[in-house]
Amino acid sequence: MRSAPDYSRWFPSMPLIRNPAGTTAGERPPDAAAVRAALESGSEEQRWYAARAAASLSDTVAAVAEALAREQNSRVREALFTALARIATPQSIEAVLLFLRSDDASVRTGACDALAAMKDAAWPHVAALLRDSNADVRVLACELTRNMPSEHAVPHFCALLDNEPEPNVCAAAIDALAELGRAEALPALARCRERFRATPFLGFAISVAEDRIRSQSAGPRA
Amino acid sequence: MSDGTPKKVLVIDDATLVRLYYRGALEAAGFRVTEALNGLEALEQLLGASFDLLIVDVNMPQMDGLTFLRALRDGDLPMAAIPAMVTSTESAPQRVADAVAAGANYYAIKPLGADVLVQYASLLCGARHG
Amino acid sequence: MPDVATLTEDAFRRLCEFLYRRTGMVFNEAKRYYVDRRVAERMAATESRSFESYFARLRGNAHGEIEQFINAFTVNETYFYREEHQLICLTSNLLAERLKRKSRGDRLRIWSVPCSTGEEPYSIAIWLLENWPLVDDYDIEIVGSDIDTDVVALAREARYGKRALMRLPRHVVDKYFEPSTGDTWTIIEDLRQSVQFTVANIVDEAETKPHGQFDVIFCRNVLIYFDDTSRRIAAENLFENLLPGGFICLGHTESMSRISPLFGVARFDDAIVYQRPWS
Repeated sequence: MRSAPDYSRWFPSMPLIRNPAGTTAGERPPDAAAVRAALESGSEEQRWYAARAAASLSDTVAAVAEALAREQNSRVREALFTALARIATPQSIEAVLLFLRSDDASVRTGACDALAAMKDAAWPHVAALLRDSNADVRVLACELTRNMPSEHAVPHFCALLDNEPEPNVCAAAIDALAELGRAEALPALARCRERFRATPFLGFAISVAEDRIRSQSAGPRA
Repeated sequence: MSDGTPKKVLVIDDATLVRLYYRGALEAAGFRVTEALNGLEALEQLLGASFDLLIVDVNMPQMDGLTFLRALRDGDLPMAAIPAMVTSTESAPQRVADAVAAGANYYAIKPLGADVLVQYASLLCGARHG
Repeated sequence: MPDVATLTEDAFRRLCEFLYRRTGMVFNEAKRYYVDRRVAERMAATESRSFESYFARLRGNAHGEIEQFINAFTVNETYFYREEHQLICLTSNLLAERLKRKSRGDRLRIWSVPCSTGEEPYSIAIWLLENWPLVDDYDIEIVGSDIDTDVVALAREARYGKRALMRLPRHVVDKYFEPSTGDTWTIIEDLRQSVQFTVANIVDEAETKPHGQFDVIFCRNVLIYFDDTSRRIAAENLFENLLPGGFICLGHTESMSRISPLFGVARFDDAIVYQRPWS
C-alpha cells in the first residue's frame, strides 16, 4: 500500500489510563450510602453504576430489591439482579424469590436467571419452591432443581410427579428427568402417565424420557 | 398447503420436549420447523431467515417471549409483522391482555395438543386462504 | 480407542443443546464430524464405554470435562488472520458504522481481549494497514489484553514461528516482519510499538475499567468457559468498555443469546456481531 508506513500516530500520547466517558464514579467505588442514594434518585447511568457497585456491598440488599421493584430499564435491572446473585446471602436470595412471582415476565426471567447463577446457594430453597402455591413458580423451580447434582434432583422430581396437579409443572420435571437419565425415575414416570391419560403432550414427553433413560442405563456406567 | 410451498415456523421455547413435540406434529403436517431456545436467539434467527409463523413461549431464560415480541414489533426487521402465537401456562385475562399488547395474534394455553397446534398454525399461516 | 461412532441424531442434538445451555457455544450439523470426533477422543480419554456414560460425566462436569471437551474447538494454534471473516466485517461494515458519528482525525479504539500471544491485535493492525483505505484518516488505537502475564510478555516480544504466519501473503510477511533466530519472525519495531498490551482479567471491573471505551471489541472463546455469575460480570464489564453503538465480536461458534441480554445483534455479510445499544 504505502512504502513508508507511519505508525507514530498510533502511539497514545498518554499511558493507557483514562477515565471512561460517562462514568460518574471516581477512582474509588461508591460506598453503601452513595449506592442507596443513586438507586433511589439517580439517572439511568448512575443507577447502572450503583447496581454494579452494590454487588460488593451486602448491606445494600434492601435498596437493590426496592430499586428492582420500580426499575423499568432492562440493563439496570440486569445489573441489579447480578448484584443480588453475587451477594448470595439468605437475604439476597429471599429478595430474588419475591420477584419470581412478578406479573412481569421479564422480571420473572431475571429472577430465575439470578437464582440459577447462585447455584448451590439457592438449592436449600428448592424443596419449598417445588411446593409453592403458584404453578409458574413451581415450573421455574424445576429449572433450578435440574442443575443440582442428579442424586438430589431426581428424588425431588419423582416426588413431584406423584403429587403435582398441574400438567405444565409435570412437563418441566419430565424434561429435566429426560436429561438426567436416571433409571430410578421410571416408576414415577409410569405413574404420571396414568394420572394424565387425557394429556397427549405428557404421554409423549414421558415416552421420550423413558427412551432416553433406558438408553442411558443400558451401557455400563463411567 | 394451499400453494405448495411449505410454511416455515419458528418455535421459541426453552423446553426441549415441547420443541420436540411441536416439531413432530408440525413436520408431519408439512411445515418446516426451526427452533430457538429464548427470545435473544429468536431475534438472531430472524435476522437471517424468513418465517411464516412464530410460536412463542412466555417464560424463557435471558429474554422472555413478551419482551421478544415487543422488540420484534417495535424494531425495523422485515419480519416485524409476522404472525405470532403466544403459548403460556397462564390463562388469566390480564396475562392474555399483556400478550396481545406485546403483539400476539393468538394466545394458546399449554400444554397444547398436536391437533390443536397444527390447526392454529395452519390458520395463522393463512393456509386456508387462496 | 472406540471408532468414531456416529452419534444418533437424538444424541447429537441433546449434546449440542446441553453445550449451548451451559456455555453459549453453538454446534450444528456443519460441525457434526468434529463433534463426533471429539466425543470419541474424550470417551477414550475418560475410558467411557458408551456415549451415555460419557454424557453423564459431561453433564456433571466431572474433572472439568466441559472445558476439556470444548478446548478442542477453541484452543487451536493461534495464527495471524485467524477468523478472517471478522476482519473483513471490520473493514467492510463495522468501521463504516462507527465513522457515521465521527470526524476525520477522530480516535478509533479497538480492543482484543483475551489477546493471548498477540496474533489477534497485530493481525488487526496489519489488516487495517493493508485493507482499509481510511487508515490514515483516523487516530487508530489498538489494545491487547490478557489475564496471563506470560503470554502478554510474549505478545510484546512479537516473535512467531512460521506456522503462525501461514495465512499471511508473502508481501505482508516481508513488510511487517523481520526474520529472527531459530526460524522465527519478529514484527517490526514500529508496528510492535503501535499496539498497547496490558494484563487484565475481564471478570474484574477494577482491571477492565481503566482501559476506557472502545469502538470495537474482539472477545473470542473466553466467555464460554465462565460460570453464570462470572459470565454476567464479564458481559457487564465489556458493556461498560464499549462506546454506545460499539460492536463486540465473539468466536464464530459462540452466541450472545445464552450469555447476556445486554447487547443487540447485527448481521452482516461476513459475521454476526453484537452491539451496545445507542441509548
